[in-house]
Amino acid sequence: MAISSSSQASPFLYCGKIAQSDSLAVLHLKRDLLIPVVLHSRDDLDEGYDEGKVTNTRFGSFPHSTLIGAPWGSQVRASAVDTGSRGRKGWEGSGRKGRKRKRDEQFHNERGTEKEANTDAQNGGILSKADVIRNQDTVATPKAAVEAASGFVHILPPTPEIWTASLPHRTQVVYTPDYSYILHRIRARPGTVLIEAGAGSGSFTHAAARAVYNGSSTAEQGESEFKGLDEDPYGKVYSFEFHEQRAQKLKDELQEHGLDNVVELTHRDVCQDGFIPFQTTPSDMNTNAIFLDLPAPWLALKHLTRGGPSSPLDPRTSIHLCTFSPCIEQVQRTITTLRQLGWLEIEMVEIAAKRIEVRRERVGLQEEGLRGANDSPASVDEAVARLREVEGRLRVFHEESAFDGKGLSPATAGAQVSKQQRLENIRNALEGRKLYKEGRLVHKPEPELKTHTSYLVFAVLPREWTEEDELGAQRLWPGTVDVPEQDTGPMSKRQRKKEAKIKAGGNKASEIEREGSSSKLEAI
Amino acid sequence: MAKNNFELIRPNAYVALRLPSDALIVVHLLPNTTISIGKYGNFQANHVIGRPFYLTFEVIDKTNISNTSQTALRVVPATELYADLRDEDATTPIETETGRTVKDQDGVEYDIVGEDGEVVMRTNRTIIDDPNSQIMTMDEIEEMKAQSIGSGKDLIAKILESHSALDQKTAFALAKYTLRKTKKYLKRFTIIPLDVSTLARWMFVEKEPMKTMELREEILSLIGSWSNVHCTPLHTPPLMSENIAKIGGGRWLVVDETAGLLVAYIAEKMGILHAPERPDQKLENALVLDQEHEAVKGEVVQDNTEANSSKIPTQNPLRPRKSSTLATTNTITLIHANAQPNLSLLKYFHFDAFNPSSLHPLERHLKILSWLQLVAPEDDACCTEPEHVSEEVLQGWKSGKRSNHFRKRRRWERMKSIVDETRAGGFDGLIIASVMNPVSILRHTVPLLRGAAQVVVYSPTIESLIELSDCYSTGRRTAFVQNPPDPGLMPTEDFPINPTLLLAPTIHTARCRSWQALPGRTHPLMTGRGGSEGYIFTATRVLPAEGKIEARGKFKRRKVDARRSTRASSSLAETPASVAGELIESDV
Repeated sequence: MAISSSSQASPFLYCGKIAQSDSLAVLHLKRDLLIPVVLHSRDDLDEGYDEGKVTNTRFGSFPHSTLIGAPWGSQVRASAVDTGSRGRKGWEGSGRKGRKRKRDEQFHNERGTEKEANTDAQNGGILSKADVIRNQDTVATPKAAVEAASGFVHILPPTPEIWTASLPHRTQVVYTPDYSYILHRIRARPGTVLIEAGAGSGSFTHAAARAVYNGSSTAEQGESEFKGLDEDPYGKVYSFEFHEQRAQKLKDELQEHGLDNVVELTHRDVCQDGFIPFQTTPSDMNTNAIFLDLPAPWLALKHLTRGGPSSPLDPRTSIHLCTFSPCIEQVQRTITTLRQLGWLEIEMVEIAAKRIEVRRERVGLQEEGLRGANDSPASVDEAVARLREVEGRLRVFHEESAFDGKGLSPATAGAQVSKQQRLENIRNALEGRKLYKEGRLVHKPEPELKTHTSYLVFAVLPREWTEEDELGAQRLWPGTVDVPEQDTGPMSKRQRKKEAKIKAGGNKASEIEREGSSSKLEAI
Repeated sequence: MAKNNFELIRPNAYVALRLPSDALIVVHLLPNTTISIGKYGNFQANHVIGRPFYLTFEVIDKTNISNTSQTALRVVPATELYADLRDEDATTPIETETGRTVKDQDGVEYDIVGEDGEVVMRTNRTIIDDPNSQIMTMDEIEEMKAQSIGSGKDLIAKILESHSALDQKTAFALAKYTLRKTKKYLKRFTIIPLDVSTLARWMFVEKEPMKTMELREEILSLIGSWSNVHCTPLHTPPLMSENIAKIGGGRWLVVDETAGLLVAYIAEKMGILHAPERPDQKLENALVLDQEHEAVKGEVVQDNTEANSSKIPTQNPLRPRKSSTLATTNTITLIHANAQPNLSLLKYFHFDAFNPSSLHPLERHLKILSWLQLVAPEDDACCTEPEHVSEEVLQGWKSGKRSNHFRKRRRWERMKSIVDETRAGGFDGLIIASVMNPVSILRHTVPLLRGAAQVVVYSPTIESLIELSDCYSTGRRTAFVQNPPDPGLMPTEDFPINPTLLLAPTIHTARCRSWQALPGRTHPLMTGRGGSEGYIFTATRVLPAEGKIEARGKFKRRKVDARRSTRASSSLAETPASVAGELIESDV
């Protein structure tokens, strides 16, 4: 049942119906609080939970046995897990999440055990047989999880958007609005070969992998339709990262996510060493699209030229490029270099994205003392009524003082309601109110706003076109030919008129409108 | 597959031309035709077919022997395109040195002077506004235009020459003036492939933005990301297989009222928009191509005429019978509100929804049904089974009647399989761009989604999305969970739609701001296209747990705090609705 990363599709590309063991899942706690978790049916680290592998969150503990096999998107209840007594059972190392309170006392102990764990790992890089058996023994009969009284999460399959929102930040992340637009503009479609330099935390990498994947790599024996007719290359991402640690981390992640057959990651400084991964022939790369998230993209451009045996570019297509730089000076140097190298269609844009929050705004005296509402008068009428009331009370007060302290006059006391009474009444009225339907529906941008991410520079390098190519094309498509009278079969009167019109007037400025159904279908 | 389409310009392709005025126009490159680009002249389609994209061509007039005016094209190299931008030092265009020399020569005054007396920039302080500074008259220019056979460069040079105050212009002004004249008179155009990106831009900027619901490119790309639409591995285990034919993964449910732009975009992301190039259509094989091309054309036309009367499977192996096989993975199911869907923009990708070519991947991967067929198939004529006729009776019929019968049955079978498959649900995502009330659409479509499917609703204006969002508000959901109405009574006034089925509803918007990035003259563009901003509503379909469920969060502590507070007794009296509201708030 286990998904081995290379043979089966990645959960990013096809997640199946239910959450499976050894594959990445995301626990959705809140919209901006997502926890990526690799589900394990066995607790290989032996963290000492009775229920086997457990993930602890703010909203409760979730043994993986309750998550594996759950249909994607289902709401999963928390379980009552004993997180406190594990230390006494010879539990060692990692997974300290649920024990914040004890951390200080245990700090020294833990350092000790961690050391132990390390030596353990060094002694036997592979677990001894006995160990494995012991593990299986302990894991084979994990205690059935018991539902907790409260707490739940939703279990979701990973998508590049969720991953972007939840990934461990190592560098500045390329966020969804930016990478969406970039991938759209550099024409990252299924089958595209894309170079990404400056992989960073990998958010763009995941989105790019989804965009270029064309099903081919897992469907070799499948329907011919998707494979194209002549050895079509598979969509591929060649990714580069010059920071060794980050590169290794991302490499592990890609493997874990089953994307290692779509993404080839190389630890490399592309400005110096170019874009050809080890053991790859440049002519096999055939790159169509390039994304550079580098501090000095202009230094890398010299490796992205046409001609020569060491060019990674596809000689047959136009090349689309995007650079991602936060500063305008970087943009200017990049553009200068792009012009010198003959890139066309140079364009610079920035993307401003925001999220909009929607809420109901309740205003009025009936909200007095309630949370989440404004208790000032909602209208002039209300204000006047309130003022009248205050006025009345004052008058009563003065009359009373005129009465000279002989107690409240019974008439006026009944007409007045004390503040406490009023609040009480409001609270009682709340019972019957449907707050979600009251008030005015309003919207505004959410408080956290990204006002600048980076400038995006786009450019296109057209296919090389020589004199010979031009001559060849002229032979193929002679410029001066008489238009042969074509027998196009029976035509409606309207069509004939149209044809005549076209012949007389040439192909008009904008395209000729032809009615969809009656038009001659063009051969494709 | 898709790559091949954009290697070289193919005959019969639709392409976009960018004119010197920066206007985009779309032309259909029929071989052997002349294409007119308004005041910039005209050219032979054959002069650009078979050439690469993104080249800039210059129109050159030629007169040939037969005295008919013929044009030729010249490819403008990049160096020439950038010739005017030679000051590449990425500093201000007027260097102090040159500034001073100019001053020495003609005594022009400068305003902005650095501390050490060096000139920083020339200004327009001394220039007198005079409409007569251009000595050439309109008539003269027109006359010259008529005479000129070149690319218009000589004309522009002449115009610049005749400007009396040219030397007074600042470098910026001069550049602007030159650019303006260039845009007006230079006979150049650039050929851009008409893919979804270009089409969206053209529709939005030039054609009819209303027709595509003012869908901007940046919003379109957001839809693509949030809907998670992508190519799915073909051999996915079927999600469900009761009664209905196998249903695979990678199925997206779409409501598109943008004339097919959205469908085209989704199809492009799934790799089913561009028909694969057939090997015999390779541009490199000269004559084969031409003949084949004609042959295909004739055949298609023939087919067209046949389509309405009889559609017997032809002997041609290239055209299997229509109802052959519908794809089970990587499919788009389109629901439309009228008798016929409006997919007119798909013609630019050579797909005609009324008469699909079997060579086009969309023929198998695009499934179309109407709202009536989805909601009440029994009321739809297309969904009622045509009478079954016995073999003997059939033999007695005339061939026309017989084939008509078979055609009807095939249409019914196709329709039935589409309707059954759609009603069975299990879709991986729902994408909506419709003028209809989104609440009513979601009411019928959300139950058809699998758990964790993504929902994206586009609207050019925000109001409808706000109302939709309010249907899924925390308060409403809490009230629903605590006091669920009878499912038979849904939709109720309070709950127009089950609010527990979608998770994390969010409204996004994005706006792309373009910059002019010229050496020393970098700034955002002064004008842009107004109109709708465009918003999308995103959410995830979830499967709520059975029975009562309680959230955990800040809730407990707050309750304790409240109890400790002075208002102790009254706090406890606070209704469950408001307490739970907070409690679930922490879970959104």
